[in-house]
Amino acid sequence: MKISFPHMGNLAIGVSGALRVLSAEVVEPPYTSKRTLSLGAKYSPEAICLPYKLVLGNYIEAIEAGAEAVLMIDSPGTCRLGQYSNIARTALTDLGYNNVEFVNFDLYKGKLLEIYSGFKHVTGNGNPLDLIYAVRVGILRIKTADKFDKLLQYYRAREVEIGSADKRYNKAMSLLDRALTVKECNEALELGTESISGVEIDSKKQVLHVDITGEIYVVLDKFSNMGIEKELGSLGVQVHRQINLSDWIDRSLYPSILRFSESHDEKTRRFAREFIKRDIGGDAVESIGDAAIAASSEITDGIVHLLPFTCMPEIIAQNILPNVRKEKDVPVLSLVMDEYTGRAGFVTRLEAFVDLIKRRKTTKHLLQV
Amino acid sequence: MKIGIPRALGYYNYYPFWFGFFGSLGIEIVLSDKTTKKLVSDGSALVVSETCLPVKIYMGHVLNLLEKKGVDIIYSPSIQSIDHKIYNCSKLRGLPDLVRNVVKKDFLLIEPTLDKSEKNQGLYQYLYESVAPLGITDKKAIKKASKVGWAYQNNFTGMTRDGMHPIEAMETAIKGKVIIKSRKNNYPINIAVLAHGYNLYDNHVSMNIFKKLENLGVKAHVSESLSTEQMNEGLKVLNTNLYWANELEISGAAGSFMTNKNIDGILTLTAFGCGPDSLMVERITRYAKRLQKPLLNLTVDEHTGEAGFITRIEAFTDMLYRKKRANIVQNLNKQIKIDSDRQEVVYSRDTIVKV
Repeated sequence: MKISFPHMGNLAIGVSGALRVLSAEVVEPPYTSKRTLSLGAKYSPEAICLPYKLVLGNYIEAIEAGAEAVLMIDSPGTCRLGQYSNIARTALTDLGYNNVEFVNFDLYKGKLLEIYSGFKHVTGNGNPLDLIYAVRVGILRIKTADKFDKLLQYYRAREVEIGSADKRYNKAMSLLDRALTVKECNEALELGTESISGVEIDSKKQVLHVDITGEIYVVLDKFSNMGIEKELGSLGVQVHRQINLSDWIDRSLYPSILRFSESHDEKTRRFAREFIKRDIGGDAVESIGDAAIAASSEITDGIVHLLPFTCMPEIIAQNILPNVRKEKDVPVLSLVMDEYTGRAGFVTRLEAFVDLIKRRKTTKHLLQV
Repeated sequence: MKIGIPRALGYYNYYPFWFGFFGSLGIEIVLSDKTTKKLVSDGSALVVSETCLPVKIYMGHVLNLLEKKGVDIIYSPSIQSIDHKIYNCSKLRGLPDLVRNVVKKDFLLIEPTLDKSEKNQGLYQYLYESVAPLGITDKKAIKKASKVGWAYQNNFTGMTRDGMHPIEAMETAIKGKVIIKSRKNNYPINIAVLAHGYNLYDNHVSMNIFKKLENLGVKAHVSESLSTEQMNEGLKVLNTNLYWANELEISGAAGSFMTNKNIDGILTLTAFGCGPDSLMVERITRYAKRLQKPLLNLTVDEHTGEAGFITRIEAFTDMLYRKKRANIVQNLNKQIKIDSDRQEVVYSRDTIVKV
């Protein structure tokens, strides 16, 4: 059975890795593009959020590329995310894709068991040890990719020759793509780290530090956030991002008894309490907490808050963030992404924001002297 | 003791209960004025523009209470979930948090939380949190007051099920009366109007839609006249499960009305940018196509003009009239053909085709 799945940041690296370990046939949908978006938007309700449109576009392109089964997630009590698979299934059926199988990871029923039965179903391999190994490799691949991301954020802001860090990052990622055992993953991590760390940097350069937070999909997905990390990097900004898939996996897959230290998730909740008392679904509390944590840190010069248009939890966060800004005295820029966001306007706003925090930093510095 | 309740959002569903509950505990309720254009723009000024219309209006009502009504206690509940894992929209869940953050005035905010997915956040805890900030902590009295509240609420529900307009039913219920009328008026066209109560019964938002439909000779059916069982059946028609706390009144009712032969068309009214509605209306649209029920979807925001609104409703009603006429003519033609086969024409067409 040819299996496919939607994109979200480094998710594809992990899922396709785990499936390939089980020697399943994987059809990776082409990376999200303008075509994906217009396909998705065409068959979606007008007012739904951007991630759904992209996910639906991914499904359509995957099926066009020959996928016979698509993976979907049902997750309870969040926001519209919990309904994605339900509504996508209706849309795909109406499009005439009747012989495609929808494999649902229903997180209502229990996490590990659902992953086990889902993978067992699509790969035909029921050996639990094999499956555990595959999932382990998948998670390791995601964690490695996230580590590369972090390195890239550091080196991109300081590189001497523009684009050299990205070049090495791509090389490291293709190395990782071939790694299908734990040993190979560790080797890829070592080689990749070495390669990215070899980028020639200007160590005296005064870099600015910007923290990116917001709705997890647009923060992670390079297409939907228009490569904001690269854009900021080229303006000499080191991007910090606390939201990543590794953290999300730790939070949602491992039982909480096995955790000893305070997770990032709990920390954000503690910091957000001052502004928002209750959980309201989605990533709103995390966004506010992240902003509050970043604002309490000495090095942060500014915060960028990303959200898809009409995202319900993030609208509340967007309403509350001005208070974080005022109380913690830190610049916050909220950027709303949708299919009509133009690149030029987006970049202009980022440039203006970077100019502003640069001037602010200089003034602060002068005042201290 | 006076508390202010904004005439928005939950007011349209739960006010009779609040009236009975607070009244029984000796707390006076002050309601805000009805929605006006100024109130909407005052509310909109407080929140970012992406926020949906009902929440903007809610903020306007909070301001109205604080500035015009001289209240300094605002009651703003957060209904997190109404059943296990059946959550509300994020904006309604975080409503008190939003009020606290954007209304920069000195007042006491009563913010009880109802969360049936958590163990210790049920109805009585919610009611306790509702009055504890006012110094009432006697649990027995609270329980007794809640019974009074339910009596009012049940009267209200009884009258709406009978087909009374919810606002009228609310006014009657508050007076402590129950009126069951016989309604035998025949209307040529029956439309199901589906929307959340706070959109539909706020005349500023729905632009007096009931009056407009009445003038066009249309009987409007609303979800409040259906029983929970009927709406649960409706969800099955749409092949879905309950996901949102306020899904029954849209998806459930839509499913129920779609399978009802007496309903000629369905009209949905949603606020621009409403998250749950975007999905529910999508599902309703797809199933209306499959079940061949005419559907009109109207989206409103603070800039919606009344003229465009009326034109669309008129066009929709015209279409329904035409469809109904065509159906009757078709049936008659069939009948005439059968009759002429029997060589005895019983009636002439002109006398009967009058809708």
